[in-house]
Order: sequence, then C-alpha cells, then structure tokens
Amino acid sequence: MKKMILSAVALLAGFAVSFTAAHAEEGFTLKGPMKIAMLYISPRNDGGWTQAFDEARLKLEKELGTKIQYVENVPETASAIRPAAKRLIQRGANVIIGTAFGYSDTFKELSEEYPEIAFLNASGTTNGPNLLSFYGRTYESQYLCGMAAAAASDTGKLGFVAANPFGVVNWTINAYELGAKTMNPDATLTVVYTGAWNDPTKERAATQALIDQGADVIGQHVDTPTPQIVAQENGVKGTGHHRDFREFAPQATVCSSVWVWDRFLASELKKLAAGNWITKPYGALLSMGEGGTDIACCGPGVDDAEKAKIMAAREQIMNGSLQVYAGPITDRDGTVRAKAGEVIGDGDLWSMDWFIDGVITQQ
Amino acid sequence: MDIISSWIGNIPEFALPFALAALGLIIIERSGVLALGAEGLMLMGALAGIGTYLVSGNNAIALFSAMFFAALVSLLFAFMVLVLRINQVISGLVLVFFCQGLSALLGTLLDWTNHPVPGLPDISPWLLADLPLIGGLFRQNIVVYLTPLVFLLSGWFLFRSVPGLRLRAVGENPQAADSVGIPVIGYRLLAILAGSALIGLAGAYISVLSTKMWIANMIGGRGWIAVALVIFARWSPWKALAGAVLFGCIEALIPQLAASGIRLPQYFVFMTPYAVTLAVMIWVAAGKSGTSSQPGALGLPYVREERT
Repeated sequence: MKKMILSAVALLAGFAVSFTAAHAEEGFTLKGPMKIAMLYISPRNDGGWTQAFDEARLKLEKELGTKIQYVENVPETASAIRPAAKRLIQRGANVIIGTAFGYSDTFKELSEEYPEIAFLNASGTTNGPNLLSFYGRTYESQYLCGMAAAAASDTGKLGFVAANPFGVVNWTINAYELGAKTMNPDATLTVVYTGAWNDPTKERAATQALIDQGADVIGQHVDTPTPQIVAQENGVKGTGHHRDFREFAPQATVCSSVWVWDRFLASELKKLAAGNWITKPYGALLSMGEGGTDIACCGPGVDDAEKAKIMAAREQIMNGSLQVYAGPITDRDGTVRAKAGEVIGDGDLWSMDWFIDGVITQQ
Repeated sequence: MDIISSWIGNIPEFALPFALAALGLIIIERSGVLALGAEGLMLMGALAGIGTYLVSGNNAIALFSAMFFAALVSLLFAFMVLVLRINQVISGLVLVFFCQGLSALLGTLLDWTNHPVPGLPDISPWLLADLPLIGGLFRQNIVVYLTPLVFLLSGWFLFRSVPGLRLRAVGENPQAADSVGIPVIGYRLLAILAGSALIGLAGAYISVLSTKMWIANMIGGRGWIAVALVIFARWSPWKALAGAVLFGCIEALIPQLAASGIRLPQYFVFMTPYAVTLAVMIWVAAGKSGTSSQPGALGLPYVREERT
C-alpha cells in the first residue's frame, strides 16, 4: 500500500530533513504524564496492516498501564490528518502515533507546530527532534517464510503475488528466494505483480495462474489474504504477510511474516516516558531483534527438522549473526551487488530493482 | 496446464462483470439518463451479495439481494435526476462517492470484510468441457451460461418489443414520446431500476462468485471501464458484450503471461488494458463518423412545461 512505501525518493527527503535533527544534543522530554493516541489509515479490523496496529495497541495498553485513544480511517491528506491530530492534542494527548507513509509531511509540520508533543509514524519518511518514523525489515521475516515455503514445496516451484515493483517489495522477493535456496538450492520463484495493494480480483487471478503453471507454494506481498485463500481452495500451500493468515486459510498457510509493533513501541515509549528521548535522523528501520516483524510458523507441510532449521535461522537473525543481504550476492544478470564480507546498505535496499538468480519476473 | 487453454478458460470470469454492468448502463442510457454511477452501484451490489450470503448461506438469494439493494440505492439517483432534475453528471459522481463511503462503512460495522465464501460450483456440459484449448470455456458457473440469454432478452426487449421502442423513444425525443402518451418519467425510473439491478448483479458476481470475499473498494475502477465500454459500443448491447470479452481477454492474459515466466516490461503490461481502450475508441471514432447512435436526449432532464 502507498502508506508502506518508502521509496528512494522519500529516502532522499529523509536525508534532507535529517540535517535539522542530526545535531540535536539534548533529547526530547515530555511535559506531564504520557498520554498516547493513534491515527489509523484503515478500519481497525482490516485483516492486515491496521489490524496489526490495533492488536499492538491492546498489548501496549496492558504493558504501559494506560488507555490509548485511536481514530480510524484517517486518509493520507493533510486536511484529514490535521484536525484529527489536533483534536487528540486538545484532549490531552502528548504522543501521537501515525500509521501511514502519506502522513509523513503533515506529521513533520505538526511536529514543528507542537514542539512539546512527540510524534511517531510507521512507514513514514520524515524525522525531527520530536518525530520518529519507523518501519520493519520485512525481508528478514520473509526470508524465513521463503525457507518454510521451500520446505513445504514438493516441486521446488514457488510462486509470489506482489503489489508493485518497488524496493520494499523487491527486497522481500529476493529474500524469499534466498531463504528458499537454503532449503532447496534448485527452488525457483515466479513473481506476478498485480499493480495494486488491495485488489482481490487481480490477486485471485495471479494466484490461480501461478498454481496452473505448477507452483505449489504461494508467497505474497499484497494486503489481502486472497492468495492464501486461493491456495487453500487448490490444495496447495502459501505464506502470508502482515498477520498470521492461518486465520483465513488454516490448511494452506505454512508461515506468515507478521508485524510485532508492540515490541518496538513498548520499549520506545518507555524511553520516551523516561525523558531525554533521542530520535534518529534517518528514522528507525527495525530488524527482527528490535521488534519490527516476526514470523508465525510453521503450518502443515513443514516437518520438525525443517522447523528446527527455520527457528535456528530466526534466532540468528534475532541476535544479528545472520544478515540476509550479506555478500557475496550477484544478481541474475551477473552484476555483483555485494562482495564477500559486505552487507548491502539501507539506501541500496530501498532502491532495489534487481533480482537474484532463480527469481522469474517480468522486466 | 497449457497457458493458452488456461487463459481462455479464465476469460468469462473477467468479462462477465464488464458485460453485465455495461448492459445495465445501456438500458439506463437508452432512456436518456446519463449514468456514471456504475462503480458505486457495483460496490453496493458486491457488499449486499456477500452480506446476504454470510447471513443466508444461499448464492441465489445473495445475487437477487444484490440486485435489489443496488436498485434501492439507485432510487436516490433517480430522485435527484428525475424529480429534482439535478445535473446528471454530478448526480452520477455523487452516487459513486456516496456508495464508496457507505459500502466501506457497512462492510466494517457489520464485519463482512475478509470472510471467504464458497461461490458456485462449475457446470461442465458433457463433451464440451473436454474440448482441447477451449474446453475451459465450458467449465463455468451457471451465471456465465445465463448471461448470453440475458443479453438476448435485453436485445429483444430494447429493439423488438413495444415497451422497448417506447423506452428508446423517451431517450431520443421525450417531447414526442410524451405527446403520444408515453409516461417519460415512469419509463426513465423503470430503466434506472432495472439497469441498476443488472449493475448490482455485476458487482455481486465479482464479490460472491469471482473474488469470493468483500474488501472495501474492491471493484477497483471496473465500473468506470464499463462506462467507457458503453460509449465505444455505441449503446449497442452486442457490441458491449464484444468489448467486455476483449477486456476479459486482456485481464485474463496478464497474470498468465507473468506466471509462465514470459519477460515483458512490467509497466507496459500494467498499461495494456487502457492502451487497448484508447485504441478501440480511436478506431471506432475514425471508422464511421456521422452515424452516432447516442440517444438524442442523453443527459437532458425532461421538463414537460418546456414542451414546444
């Protein structure tokens, strides 16, 4: 979805604004007790992105012992964001958490207008002394889902239903194939882009076409659970995105990349409450160990030995000893993307427009 | 499975919603009412269909309920354009925005989002379904087989029956129709209700039988493509059906090409349906100028007092 896209362009914007924040020596301290409010882009029961935030909100309320207000369906336009945020501030909220890429600019303006309020924004691109954008390294959890997919596959032909050919989508695709190859070096990944984040009709057609062409596990980076539902109808397997899609397709879903925002937000909000909160000039790009994403694994089709291998890799990613994009990595056209001993940097990850060997896509 | 036969088998599923929605629009516009609200009515039909299925568990009831609720919502449009005589373009756009909001709200409040439904089983007539290459055309649900019949009946009604003649007369020249005693507003109201029911059915086909679930805004612009189809079909049901099949061919081909590993420029592929729309429109416009079959009074409100 639009809100999740931190494109290369946006990254440049991040560089630009970062100069203002880079030398903030004193951290940010709230005046008075913390009162949190959230702005959701979609309904709280959307089954995916926003529902993951709502589930995190409930956990945070318990963990922090405070009520968290929320507003649903706040579209990505300043004329909708500003009144909603201002009303929450008037009601006493001093921490505002947004959930959309499209909130970035308005949150930046609001953070300057209200220097005593703290702002956080998921998948945002703007940062400041009292504004922190955050997003998860989804390629780590999707790497593990790729392992589970190859484990569950009989043919080694994996399929993937993707939204748009952007960096954040391409990095999950390459990671998925990298993970799959650790279980089956001959695994291939055929990708169909639908060109939409939320078009179940196109997702169904893409999934069905992949299955018709022989794929027996379907991964996804689109917002609806449609690919998993179609996989289950056809008696094949799949891996989910956003939340544990066993809710929708219990027999098909072998692994899901899930958001665990409460882990990150709980620790970040505690830091904020303690005072002298330091934001990051480029925002927080969270690895699994920091609480961005995790996996819900494993469903049917993954045996105990394979599950142990996946969980061992998860542990290594958690403690930082396994880097998904560590070299040597060569793309399918022969260009070296990372030499042995190197790890691909964040800027190159955001702008990823190449694929490794074994990934089959259109150009 | 062979890519060609797999492609051909998927065409009806994509073509059908365009065909039904375009037919509904033609019925409305033949009566002289410009209808741009198909996207909204399809959303209402899609939501009502899923909701009714989740409540009743019956596909037939779900499809009829979708037709009923789309017609019900279209009463609002009919009131605006027939009684208040508000500009029909604006009324159509308002209808779309209203339905987008209402369907998203109801789908969330009633918790009808993201619940898979089973759809209808395929009917495979003996022998036909086993034909090489085109066998997939005969592994479809009953609605697909009935659609040509709906087109036959609608075509016969519009062009061969007396009420159909009157409906077209109302669309061509309401003053003349009125002068021979045809109730102009009554015919237009019935055309809006009947056409909207068909558009609602097109929406329910997408949600109940094709995608098999509801998600807010899931029609994804297909209603607007139907509006364009009507224009390039010059308000003829059979040409609209042909246009719908053309679109179905393209939409069904795109995922097949990608899944079979054929490497084409991605954004070119995304662009194809719209490029073909443009090409066909240019071809139609260049082909025969002067023989426009656009209803003469399309978009004009009828006011009896202004009779000349």
